[in-house]
Formats: sequence, C-alpha cells, structure tokens
Amino acid sequence: MIHPLLPNQLQKTQETMRMAAEFILRPISRKYDKAEHEPPVEMEQLNQAAAAQKDAGIGDDSVKSMDLKGRNLWAVISLEQMCWGDVGLFLARPGTGLGNAAISAVGNPDQKSKWGKRWASMAITEPGAGSDSKNISTTAVLDGNEWVINGEKIYVTDGDRCDCVVVWATLNKTMGKTAIRSFIVEKGTPGFSVARLEKKLGIRASDTATLIFDNCRIPRENLLGGKEEIEMDADAAKKSFGGAMQTFDNTRPMVAGMAIGLGQAALDMTRALLSEEGYQDNFGASIGQQTAIQYELEMLEAELEAARLLVYKSAWMMDNKMPNSKEASMGKAKAGRIGNRISLKCVELCSMQGFSEDHLLEKFSRDSKILDIFEGTQQIQQLIVARQVLNKSSTDLK
Amino acid sequence: MQILYFRITLSVKHSSVSIDLLNFLFTNLTLIIMQDYKTDHPFDIAMSEEQQMTWDMLRKFAETEMRPAARDAEAAGRPSDELLDKMKDLDLISLGIPEAYGGMEIEQDATSQALALEALAYGDLSLAMSLSLPMLTAKIITEHGSEEHKKELLKQYSDGSMFHVGLGINNSSIMADALHSSVLVNESGEELILNGIKTGIAFAEEADSFLISATSESGESNLYVLDKDTEGLEIISKEFMGLKGLPLSEIKLSNCKIKTSQKLGGHNYSINFQELVDSSRIGMSAMALGVCQAVLDYVVPYTNERVAFDEPISNRQSVAFLVADMAIEIEAMRLMVYKAAALKDIGADFHKQASLTHRFAAHHGMKIGTDGVQLLGGHGFTHEHPVELWYRNLRAIGIFEGGAGV
Repeated sequence: MIHPLLPNQLQKTQETMRMAAEFILRPISRKYDKAEHEPPVEMEQLNQAAAAQKDAGIGDDSVKSMDLKGRNLWAVISLEQMCWGDVGLFLARPGTGLGNAAISAVGNPDQKSKWGKRWASMAITEPGAGSDSKNISTTAVLDGNEWVINGEKIYVTDGDRCDCVVVWATLNKTMGKTAIRSFIVEKGTPGFSVARLEKKLGIRASDTATLIFDNCRIPRENLLGGKEEIEMDADAAKKSFGGAMQTFDNTRPMVAGMAIGLGQAALDMTRALLSEEGYQDNFGASIGQQTAIQYELEMLEAELEAARLLVYKSAWMMDNKMPNSKEASMGKAKAGRIGNRISLKCVELCSMQGFSEDHLLEKFSRDSKILDIFEGTQQIQQLIVARQVLNKSSTDLK
Repeated sequence: MQILYFRITLSVKHSSVSIDLLNFLFTNLTLIIMQDYKTDHPFDIAMSEEQQMTWDMLRKFAETEMRPAARDAEAAGRPSDELLDKMKDLDLISLGIPEAYGGMEIEQDATSQALALEALAYGDLSLAMSLSLPMLTAKIITEHGSEEHKKELLKQYSDGSMFHVGLGINNSSIMADALHSSVLVNESGEELILNGIKTGIAFAEEADSFLISATSESGESNLYVLDKDTEGLEIISKEFMGLKGLPLSEIKLSNCKIKTSQKLGGHNYSINFQELVDSSRIGMSAMALGVCQAVLDYVVPYTNERVAFDEPISNRQSVAFLVADMAIEIEAMRLMVYKAAALKDIGADFHKQASLTHRFAAHHGMKIGTDGVQLLGGHGFTHEHPVELWYRNLRAIGIFEGGAGV
C-alpha cells in the first residue's frame, strides 16, 4: 500500500525528540558554538539521563525493544529532530560516532560485544586522500600477533573525545582498494596521538581531530571485518572493499536526516522572526497573490519535504532489507544541498537579523555546509547515482 | 509539518540535565505537538497488487498506443477517433460514476488515481489529458452535482461523447487564479449573470454544455452549468505552445443569463473550491511525473550511445550529473505525489502538501524538460526526437489548472 506517512507511534517519537532538542540542546547551542573545543558536558549528562529513561525513546535500549523492521526509519526521524536542535551538539553526543556504525555493520560478535558500547570515531580521510578513499597511504603490517599502524588521519569527528578509533589502512599501497582494511585502535595505545583540533566554519561543538599513528601496535583481533591476507580473486577483493563501503549505505540516510532537521530548524526560525513582523504563509496561492517571501518559503518548504521523503524512503528500504545504495545517495545529495540552500536563504530573508549572532540562523547556515560534504560530498553522491542510473562502471564514469 | 507550540518558559539552569527534568519532559507532559495527521498504518511505498496490475496495463497502453500517436495528434490538433475509442474502452471515466447513471460505481482512492495518471502521461501529456479531463469532469459532477445535473450530464459518459461537458477553470486574466475566476457572476432575482473570459477549455466545439468556474461579488468561487447555446457565449479556438494534441478554446461570456439552479449542486450549494483545486493539482503533478519519467528513460540510452570525443557523452560528469539530478528529482516528485494523495486518502488536510507538490512539479518538471533537450543538443531541438515536445508540454505544469484530478 502506498502510504508514505509516519504512523502515530513515530510521530510521538518526533515530538519527544523535538522536546529534547528544544529544551536541552537549543539553550546550550550558542554556548558551545562560541566555546569551540570545549567538551559539552551536558551531552554526557543527557546520555546518563537517557539511559535511565528506557521507555522515553531516546535510550539505546528502547531502540532494541522496538520492532526491528522500523529501526532505521526510527533512527532517521529521531536524529532529524535532534539536529533540529543542534547538529554540532548531536555529533558531540558520546557514543554516537561513525565508528560505532562501522563496528555494528561489519564487526564480528566478539568485536561487537567488546567495542559496541564504547564511543568509536572513524578515521578515513588523509591529507592526500579524501573522497578517493582507496588511495589512502596509512599502512598496517602484521608483525607476530600485532598489527603495526603508521600514518596520519585528518578530519576525524569525535577524534579527541572518543574511546577508540576505526582506522582505515592499506596492507599494500600498490594494490589499491583490494588491500584496504579497517582496524580498531583504542585511545591510549602507544604510538597513537592526537596532533591537533581543527578550527571550523560550523559544528564547533563537535571536535575534529588530526591523528598520528607512529608504529602504533594493536592486537591482531582488532582487524575489523575482512581477511588478513589480500584476496587475489577479483570478486572476493571487490566484496571486501564493498563491505567496508557498505557502512555508508547505512549512514548516508542518517547524515541526510541531519540536514533535513537543520533545514526545518532554519525555516521554523525564519517564520517565527517574520511573524513577529506580521508575516503569514500563503501556500498554494498564485505568484501574483504571493509576496516574494511567501513564494521563497513555499519553494524551500517543497524542496525540504521532497528531500525528507527521499531520505525516509532510503531508510525504509534498509528496514525492509532492500539494496538502497542508489536511494541513500539520492537522499544525501538532495538533503545536503537543500539543507545548505535553505539555511543560507533564511539568513538572507531575515536580513540583518538573520546575519546577526542574536539568533541561530547564521549558525545554522554555517553548520549546514558540512552536511553537504562529509559522508560523501554532493558530487560523490551524484557520481554514485549517475553510475547506477546510466549503468556505468567506475572506469567508464570517473 | 505543521507545528503547534505551547511555549513554556522553563526556568531551568542548563548547567546540568537532571533525570527529573527528563522525566518531566518526556513522560508527564506533551509540550510540543507536531502531529498533523493520524494513521496507524506503517510507512510504506509499495504498490498494492491491484495497483500494480492497473499500472502495468496503463503503462503498456501509454507506450504502445499513445506515445506513437503523439506527433500525429499534434499535427491534427486532436487525437484520432480510433485512439479516443480505445481510451474510452479503458473504462476509466465510468469507473467512479454511480450505477444509477450508467457507471461502474467503483470508488477509486487518490493514490490509485495518481498512479493511473502518471502511467498515462508517460505516453503523451495531451493524449493523457484527453482522458483525464472527462475523468475529472465526471468526478466533479458525481461529487457535487444535483440529482438533476447528474441525470442530465453523467449518462452521456457511458453512451455518448466523453467531451459533452467542457470544463472551464483556467482564466484569461493573468492576475486571476484558480480560486479567483476571471468570470464574475452576479445574482439578479431568479437569474445569474456571467461576464468574463475563460481559456484552455478542451474539446469545447464538441461540448453540449460547460462547467465554468465563476466568482461572486463576495469572492466565493463555484461552478456553473451553461448550455452551449446560451446567449452571449462565444467559443474562440486558440493555439498554445504545448498540449497541441488537444483542441483548446477560449470562452467569452457577455451578459450570459442563466437560472440559479444552474449553479452546480443547486442554488444554495457551495463547493469546496480549494479542495477541488488541490485535488486537481495532485493530478497534474502526477502527470508531470509521468512526462519527466519519459524524459529520463529517453536520455539514458541516448547519452549512453551518443559518442563525442571518442566515448559516450555520459562518461563525462557534466552530462552524467544532469542525468543523476533528473533521477533524484523525479524520485522526489514521485514521493511528493504519493504523500499528497495518501493524505487525501486518510481524510487529512492535504492543502499544504498538494501546494508544495504542485510547486515542486512545476519547478523541477520544467528543469527536467529543459535538461532533456540540452542533453540531446541540436538533435533535441528538432522534431526528430520527442524531447522538444515534452519540453513544450511540461511548461503547462503549474499553469494549467483543473486538467486532472485524484
């Protein structure tokens, strides 16, 4: 049955999450935007409180008790609402790193039980390799019962505050993506250090670290998914890297959901500011009957709703075990660019008030940019969609 | 998402988040109500078995019967009688008409109707509208007509011309819109007097009567049934840049006097005109979707086969990304149409969703139309390929009101 509507239960979840966003995140939003690199202690307290709130729908236990069929859609709408509050703070919430998604996607049962509850960040990008993650130069060499990791990783979200890092490294630099594996490195391991924290355009509440691995030795069993030796069989090799990349099919709808929440926040705040000066919506009226602001806001609202439905669909497909690589990228491309366009337009619509730090509109417009970049830039998403729609290989469509 | 706020100032020091505060927020009180529709059915996008069957049948009809006839219909200014007979045989018009008036009386939900419209428009928009217009007109008369009007107007759909009632919603005046007709109606005793110009009326020459939207002095819009031979009614044939496979006319009303009972539904009836317009906007958006899908399905093989600089042009990102964006916006448009229709089906307020969907379909439909021509380059500009036809037809989306309904 075609019914792209949220059932009552999920709409209640939306409301609960919105309340947490409104009353817990919003009041400290500006504080941590100003105090960059200062860990938001309230997020740790929120976690502790949430853990005690098993039925409130924000603790992990309540997710587990839910019907598994709807878990991804539930997650998307939950973090959409959290990010309506503040994207930076959401990213700084302990335990919600991208590395956690990787461990739960490709980890073996032992790894899941050992690392599942720890806060895991994800280290992929290097100074010389961003979207082309198969060109990374961090190396991993097996020496006895230990892996020796060497290299530099940048732009690691939660890289300073996390408990462990999922690090992408190559077993043999000359062998491209077939040699790439991910490893779990615990904080405090000798040879592993945080070199510096970035100062950023937005999401300042979240730390972004540069990590150095200098003859860092980790236990052999910390290899996450994949085999210790490089597969010579092309299909097996492809599958191995594809497995690592699969994490992204799962996390793209989540990041896209963050952009939707932020876009909605910008629209809501713009309406609130405008309505103080007499503004009212006029949906469905002809161009001649609408003011320029009414027209703009209606178009932006339409774009946001479109992006939202794309993202919900990609999560729904995940819930129903359908391959969703194309749809996840569609949603991420659309949501990333629309979240950014909306937040920038809203600043313009509210003129000097929008530009002012008296309100959060200017902050939203700075935070939104990263959502069109990390977890695959808009252009990478277009590439993924284009290859699937046009049925092209990565050698044909580069 | 409509948001109702009960703003309560909480004098809470946010230096710490206590369990008590969370308890207060999450369990005892709902401070924020966001819910604007109610349903227990889970989120779903899969067609039902029945919808899939109808879809397959109509899509095949669109591809084998309508698409090949599109150019001929444009040249002739109307579909061939043979094709019209085949379209009528699909029984889509009589489906919703009550048995008492010769119909099949099978109620159609909005999502199923949107799917049917999308499938038909995949063939050709003009030809699909040759069918969607009488479907909508019959639906309006069924829902709003008085017993007398139903008896008079509905029977013919099953055993006469499907174009015996011309629907006049579009306005000649630029500043008028679907809700504010450029035809004004004045009450004078037992009579109503109509003045103004309507345009974009399909098959006007074949109609016996017209269903014309007119606005009263109080600003209320309603539909009025006018006989073709009403004094002061003049039909003037018009040409437009698109929808050329469908004969369109202007109707000029100069002091047309009609009886008060000729108001659809009777003298004291008041139509929910906004809802009628919203439902037709979902329909037109569904048709835009069908045309856009046709564009995408045409440019994919074309750009894969067309070679320039020794390789297919789709090997280049500038080309491939246009195609990717087309696919993204089409998928988004599809979900927008589904959601608007689904809201109507559960009886929720669908005005906002219909408006957003229509705005989205108009904007992105035209973008897809123009990119379709662009991707074929000079070839796309000629009649050798259908993309220039789709380009012209897609310009009607957002402009043409009351062309299809759900």
